[in-house]
Amino acid sequence: MRWLVLLALAACTQDLDEQWQLRHDRIIAVRTDPPRLAAGGQASLTMLAGYSDAPAVERAPDLAAVVSPKSMSGSVAPFGGAWMVTAPDESALAAARSELGLPDGAPVPLQIGLASAWPHPVASTDEQHFAAVKTVLLGESGDNPPLEGLTINGAPPGDELVVPRTGQVPLYVEANDETQIVNWLTSAGTMHDFDLHAAYLTFEEGDALEGQLVLVLHDELGGVTWRVWPLRAE
Amino acid sequence: MVARLRRWVAVILLVAGVADADPMTVHGRVVDPHGKPVRGASISVEGSTRTATTDAQGRYTLAGIEPGSSLVVIADGFGAGLGTAGETSDDIVLDIQATETIEVKGERPPQAQGAAMLDREQLERMPGARNDVMQTLSAMPGVASYPLPLGSSGVVIRGASPQDSKVLIDDFEVPLLYHYLGFRSVVPTDAIDTLEYIPGGFDVAYGRASSGIVSLTTRAGDAKRGQQFETSVGEVGALAQGSFHNGHYMIAARRSAIDLLLPYVLPSDMDLALTTVPRYYDGQFRVDYTLSNKWTLRASSIGSDDAMELYASRDKNADKRFSNRARFVRLTTSAHYHDGPVTAKLAISGIAEDQTFERGLYQHMGVSSPALTMRAEVGRTAKTWLGLQDVAWRAGVETVATHHSLDVAIPRERREGEPPATDDPMDVTQRYTGTVDTSNYAGWTALSAALDERVRFTTGLRVDAYARAGDVAFQPRGELSFKLVPRLTARIAAGAYSRPAEFQTELIDANLRAERSQQLIGGLLYEPADGVRLQGSLYYTKRTNLVTRGMDGTLGNDGRGSSYGGELLGTVQRGPWFGWLAYAYSHSMRVDLPGGMQRLFDYDQPHNLNVAGSYRIGRWQFGARFRLASGLPQTPVVDSLYDSDSNLYYPVYGAVNSERAPMHHQLDIRIDRTSHWGPVKITQFLDVQNVYMNDTVVGYYYGFDYTQRAAFRMLPILPTAGIRGEF
Repeated sequence: MRWLVLLALAACTQDLDEQWQLRHDRIIAVRTDPPRLAAGGQASLTMLAGYSDAPAVERAPDLAAVVSPKSMSGSVAPFGGAWMVTAPDESALAAARSELGLPDGAPVPLQIGLASAWPHPVASTDEQHFAAVKTVLLGESGDNPPLEGLTINGAPPGDELVVPRTGQVPLYVEANDETQIVNWLTSAGTMHDFDLHAAYLTFEEGDALEGQLVLVLHDELGGVTWRVWPLRAE
Repeated sequence: MVARLRRWVAVILLVAGVADADPMTVHGRVVDPHGKPVRGASISVEGSTRTATTDAQGRYTLAGIEPGSSLVVIADGFGAGLGTAGETSDDIVLDIQATETIEVKGERPPQAQGAAMLDREQLERMPGARNDVMQTLSAMPGVASYPLPLGSSGVVIRGASPQDSKVLIDDFEVPLLYHYLGFRSVVPTDAIDTLEYIPGGFDVAYGRASSGIVSLTTRAGDAKRGQQFETSVGEVGALAQGSFHNGHYMIAARRSAIDLLLPYVLPSDMDLALTTVPRYYDGQFRVDYTLSNKWTLRASSIGSDDAMELYASRDKNADKRFSNRARFVRLTTSAHYHDGPVTAKLAISGIAEDQTFERGLYQHMGVSSPALTMRAEVGRTAKTWLGLQDVAWRAGVETVATHHSLDVAIPRERREGEPPATDDPMDVTQRYTGTVDTSNYAGWTALSAALDERVRFTTGLRVDAYARAGDVAFQPRGELSFKLVPRLTARIAAGAYSRPAEFQTELIDANLRAERSQQLIGGLLYEPADGVRLQGSLYYTKRTNLVTRGMDGTLGNDGRGSSYGGELLGTVQRGPWFGWLAYAYSHSMRVDLPGGMQRLFDYDQPHNLNVAGSYRIGRWQFGARFRLASGLPQTPVVDSLYDSDSNLYYPVYGAVNSERAPMHHQLDIRIDRTSHWGPVKITQFLDVQNVYMNDTVVGYYYGFDYTQRAAFRMLPILPTAGIRGEF
């Protein structure tokens, strides 16, 4: 009977990367710093990119443009190899509120579309590309969320992580799983409960012992924070 | 006087276990099409002097019969027919149409061109069906062949959607057909007498379906008391039957066993916590009572209860919780009247149905739908009337009242042609809490008569009134039958059909009208020898008022479509042989919105071939079945978009249903062996699907960000073994 169940499971399991697997070509997260801008404020636009054959890196998108509202299409522009988001003055924000049917004083959601060609770092010949959308709230100021209470294997992490290869390696960050989104990603070991504020890492037979650990935290107001560590299991 | 008596030809459907090489005693019963016992019918054995006569309950006993012997039934007012002696003491059903002169011996003609009927013995003989009635249905021409159930409550017939066809048990719908994952049907084969498959052109007595009908009849209890127990991989069941004063009973129950085994066989390191291991129960009963020589009463019931609860995490985090429960019970009582040319039937059926679903912290669904159905039907036959011959007239009325209580917070429901949405546990786009009452009324009448010895017609009208939407559907239907030569008949039928907009969230919109279809079917029926039948059919179905989602996200009746195809069905039931050949070609297209692109139906399957054979020798029975079927259409993902605000990846789809899963084929085998252990007759069976382990791709699924795709494959081989004891 056991072989029958295993057979059934095998039939349904294919070689698809898990969502916590860092070695995978994709846009992992997009951030503006800061995420909410008062009139006249500026923010840089950055994304965290994952690669199947290289470490995850922070980089600027190849292309960015305003999706909505149309009246603010000039709010995103390249600057010194990066992309900058600029909140217009109050009169332009008021016009945008009118365009979107928002009440006076409400933050204006600026939706930005961005794209990057793959593989890293320049446009590929096979036209493979990745795209994303990101909303920035204009008309009020705010910061990306802090990573509070962060512990790796029971201790605050340094710049490099060395963890035991046996047993569970607990990962913890203070966050509300109902209102915030936590993602733990790794290219070494096997991640468990990757989308909870308390996750753990194990190293199974065949797992890579060296790689990266990434933590991404999204708050409910569009704020995004991430941190990337080199990771080694001993 | 005798000359006036029409002689009808009947088929004897001896439902049997496996034949023993030794002579045996055959018990049985002969009834007319309305279930009324036929008294005084003469049963004889070909090549033997043994005969028997049925008693007032239509019952007979024949001793010293060789298994596989041919039996002949002759009764005044009926005709002679052939059958095969089996070993069990189940009913012999004299299954005829009340006013048709059937010159071809062996079986009654199919209810409609392309239709077929299987009895319990044939259902159990079909290799690869795992003793499951709905699995057997997949061998029918026109039924989409797919390793997984196409919706828990439907069967796909002639390229339509599952909800367009109805599955009836004792003339009434059941809300669920399958236990979890399509593992088993909710009714065991042992509790079924016959399965009738009508892919189109069905009678005016059937309604609220725009494609086809599958009608199951529960088993009537036998005069001889008996019990049986059966266990196979995944379940255990028991059945008891017998008689009492002027009556018979059958009661059966089943329980899953896989839930008892699963905790021990799942790998211990799986990140899973099963708090309620998937389990199911089902039960059936039927009581027949002869009130007088004109009146019989019947009560029957079917019920099912499935439950499961799991956490996709060993730590039982609330956001990883998934629970589901689906249960229903239907109780039907009916009174049947038969006095010479006059028949009548009055039936009342009630159903209690409850389904709950909860996923994570946000998504849930609770639906309760108690319903009451009342149906009355009368019939009258006459030898001649207004120059017509063998005239039969029927009329009936039906009301169905349902009170739906809904509490829904789920993602937007996927409609026909829509690709699956991105899986977001927080998505509760579809919200509704409230009650919906639906009342459907129907009336029908039909006249059937012969113009001469070769030409017969049936004409009728069904009117369905769907009160909630104020929608009335007039549905004329008719058929012409020409006997070209004694064993070759041509049939052509046309009719209008409708399905009320009550499927899932269609209920929430009171303005939706019923979907409509018009069907045209023609074909030939050839019966070269007794027990051998060949049907070839062509059909065209036009569909209008299809419920589709508009650009604004609301539902409307803006869709239209069509299906056409051809089917071939050959059956052999002679002595120890049972053979089956079914091939269907089908093409189904639809347009969801006016001016929109034409596309394939989700269940379009151009080619579907089933070839099966079974041979009985002594205590053994060997069978094999080969299947070859086109894959179903798929909508490919051509790109994806990352939404930073929700941290989800959204797919960008290509043209709807623009690619297709590969064609699949497989060989199934079945072996049965019968033996005796004291008074207990033991039947063991082994049913193996896909014996040559063909690697079959059923469809495709995508990774979390849609940049990777993998094939969903059928199990490489699926053996099922079981044992049944009867005493």
